[in-house]
Amino acid sequence: MEFAWYALLGLFFAGYLVLGGYDYGVGLLLARGTDPAYRRAALAAVGPFFLGNEVWLVAAVGILFGAFPMLEGELLAGSYPAVATALTGVILVTAGVQLRSRPDSGRARARWDRVIVVGSLLAALGWGVVLAGLLQGVPLGPDGHVAGVTHLFTPFAAATGLALVTLVAAHGATFLTLRMPAAEGDRLRPLARRLIASAIVAVTAATVVGLLSDRVRAAAQRPLVGVLLTVLLIGALLAARAALGRRRPGVAFTATAVALALPVLLVGATLWPYVLVSTIEPAASLTVTDAAASAATLRLLGWLAVPLLPALLGFQAMCWWIFRGRTDGRALVYW
Amino acid sequence: MDTLLLARLQFAATASVHFLFVAVTLGLVTLLVGLQTAWVVTGNPRYERLTRFWGQLYVINYVLGIATGIVMEFQFGLNWSGLSRYVGNVFGAPLAIETLVAFFLESTFLGMWIFGWHRLRRGVHLALLYGVMLTAYASAFWIMVANSWLQNPVGYEVRDGVAHLTDFSALLSNPALWMALGHVVSAALLTGGLLMAAISAWHLSRRTPDHALFRTSLRLGLVTAALAISLVQGFGFAQFGPVGALQPTKFDGNPEADALIADWTARFGAGDYLPPVLANVGLGFMILIGFALGLLWLLVPLLWRDWIIRLRFPLWLIMLSLPLPFVALILGWIAREVGRQPWVAYGLLPVEQAVSPISPWLMATSLIGFTLLLGTLAVTNWVLLARHAARGAADPALGRPPAQPPADDDTRPEPAFA
Ligand code: HDD
Ligand code: HEM
Ligand code: HEM
Repeated sequence: MEFAWYALLGLFFAGYLVLGGYDYGVGLLLARGTDPAYRRAALAAVGPFFLGNEVWLVAAVGILFGAFPMLEGELLAGSYPAVATALTGVILVTAGVQLRSRPDSGRARARWDRVIVVGSLLAALGWGVVLAGLLQGVPLGPDGHVAGVTHLFTPFAAATGLALVTLVAAHGATFLTLRMPAAEGDRLRPLARRLIASAIVAVTAATVVGLLSDRVRAAAQRPLVGVLLTVLLIGALLAARAALGRRRPGVAFTATAVALALPVLLVGATLWPYVLVSTIEPAASLTVTDAAASAATLRLLGWLAVPLLPALLGFQAMCWWIFRGRTDGRALVYW
Repeated sequence: MDTLLLARLQFAATASVHFLFVAVTLGLVTLLVGLQTAWVVTGNPRYERLTRFWGQLYVINYVLGIATGIVMEFQFGLNWSGLSRYVGNVFGAPLAIETLVAFFLESTFLGMWIFGWHRLRRGVHLALLYGVMLTAYASAFWIMVANSWLQNPVGYEVRDGVAHLTDFSALLSNPALWMALGHVVSAALLTGGLLMAAISAWHLSRRTPDHALFRTSLRLGLVTAALAISLVQGFGFAQFGPVGALQPTKFDGNPEADALIADWTARFGAGDYLPPVLANVGLGFMILIGFALGLLWLLVPLLWRDWIIRLRFPLWLIMLSLPLPFVALILGWIAREVGRQPWVAYGLLPVEQAVSPISPWLMATSLIGFTLLLGTLAVTNWVLLARHAARGAADPALGRPPAQPPADDDTRPEPAFA
């Protein structure tokens, strides 16, 4: 039962990184060039999906609170600066994308676009540091509380944050090659390939820093799984690059999507059976079972989730289906 | 500096801003459903224009509901980690249900609704808006289940110092829930209705060329607001009974309160178990506003033969009364929430046990940072709302046919491929 909920939590957070990830990637790419028409077209490509993407985060946190209350408090409060950074980014992107086209003047729109760029950067950076914070263990004391927040400031956390920024940028560019009109998509292909290459470099760098870090080595319960999944992640990125070269944007997008989902699986599998590994008091480490809500609560939520999940995923799939294909002259422009 | 005080201030600030926006969301979406249904049923293009105009304002307002709502959700974990630790087994369930049943679907539907004009069949497009409305009400319901549990914890037992869920149905039949839910929902309807009436009144007072359109929304808004204020009053007075019985310390000193405080002192140690005196000041003021807005009924007969428009001064009265429901919303919540101090969960979990053990500096940074961020966004959002409201219904961006070049609001040529 706990495992099912843990998997569901992972599914929703990974879903958020994949879907919100391309929002932030597209957001980062608004920094490039000054052509307002291009920026509007890029946002029109995200268009109908935008609102449905970010709720994966809201749902993930809801599951975290309902099914893993013990983890919720310690994880969020124990990674306060990283979570607050990510949260600030999420808010800036949400407000920026939805409001940028409401003012009349081009100047105001350009200002909002900068807000979106900064927000995308903060969101990706923040979530990267949160994931790194899990992998390198936290100072969880015998009283069950994480002591302080300075444990977050390590080279590994910085490297992971940067890696996630490059990952979302590459993912966003790949999304645009898939979704923008064919001519524009073609023009973006070289950029997407370059961004994927830099993501490969950044992920490799973060992996090396991680392998050199004592804390990461001590916290990892299954280091081999971690390394294997990292190799898989880099493989996905290589595949995406190759697919773009062969003008297969659909395959490339699937591959970058896998690359954004894998970090969540990696953290979960490498730490299993723990969710929070203590760096100061081994006995204080929190397992998935300890972190979960009591059986009655999980049972109640389970009865609800069984009929609900197909509906949730079904309506999201409906949105993807209705608005599938490239944007063209008939696509509504609202953001 | 005191971490607890800062955390409370932050919750109060974020919740207040959130509620100012979501009350409008909840009220307006109900009216929008009416307008779009009228459009689909009658095929009258005036209703399409009304749907686009009010829908545009609704969507702009929605943005800050999301932004502040996300901060609310994270705040529980960031600032109140003890809440999830001690009562998360019970309190977390309705919140988790809310995010899955309500928000997830609500935003998915809304995205499809915004981008579905001219693309989806009319019936499907309308069904999406019904979906948005139903999930919005579902969210209000589940959040009130959660809040009412904090007001009056039920359906649990404490084992090893942690509350465990024993009876979920008790959460749904919580006596603190139903009257409060009715009160909150009708207050939201009142706010949405009055907003619609006030904006329409502004246009009519300036002799808008769109007279017929704003006449319709003035009537709709005013009648909704009048019906809603009576419900607000009814549910409001009906709350005194259950709340007074469940929370003897909330309103005034009385024998039950003294007995309860003696009991708490025995169980939790000596302490100040009375809420701050200012908790109830706002309550009286809110009730005053409630009676004042009851006078909206006097304007309803003036709808006959459009006297309300011809006389003009009623239009000004409506515009001047627009701030009142917003003030009342905040005052009511402050009474409810500050009135349960010093408890997060009444009689079960004191606030100082629920607050996260983090440094006051971190908490202060968070308080200042998020308050400035959300405050700035809220003001920006209201400015945009006011501008779009003032611009009138000539050509809202929402639902603009893709081929049609935008009228005045976009001076640059549209990208050929967008
Ligand atoms: C448009 C807003 C509005 C208006 C005009 C009123 N209220 Fe209200 N009131 C609220 C909006 C509100 C609220 C913000 O929605 C609250 C906070 C929590 C709740 O249940 O509703 C509230 C709380 C609240 C409470 C506190 C419940 C508690 O402490 O748990 C009482 C007793 C009343 N109201 C009673 C009234 C009466 C008798 C009114 C007028 C005759 C009135 N309210 C008008
Ligand atoms: C309906 C869902 C809500 C829930 C579950 C909720 C929960 C909470 C929690 C956990 C706290 C912090 C602990 C405390 O100080 O007691 C709090 C405080 C507070 N909330 Fe709410 N709240 C809700 C809605 C609102 C709304 C809509 C407002 C709008 C104004 C509001 C106003 C406040 C205020 C003013 C405080 C500070 C009280 C004080 O510390 O003295 N709440 N609430
Ligand atoms: C009576 C009090 C509340 C009501 C009636 C209410 C209602 C709503 C509604 C209708 C929305 C969706 C649309 C919009 O924002 O415009 C919303 C958004 C949100 N609310 Fe609240 N809310 C209340 C209090 C709270 C509290 C206490 C929390 C904290 C858990 C919360 C969390 C959220 C979140 C996370 C969102 C964003 C969902 C999205 O992305 O669409 N709300 N709220």
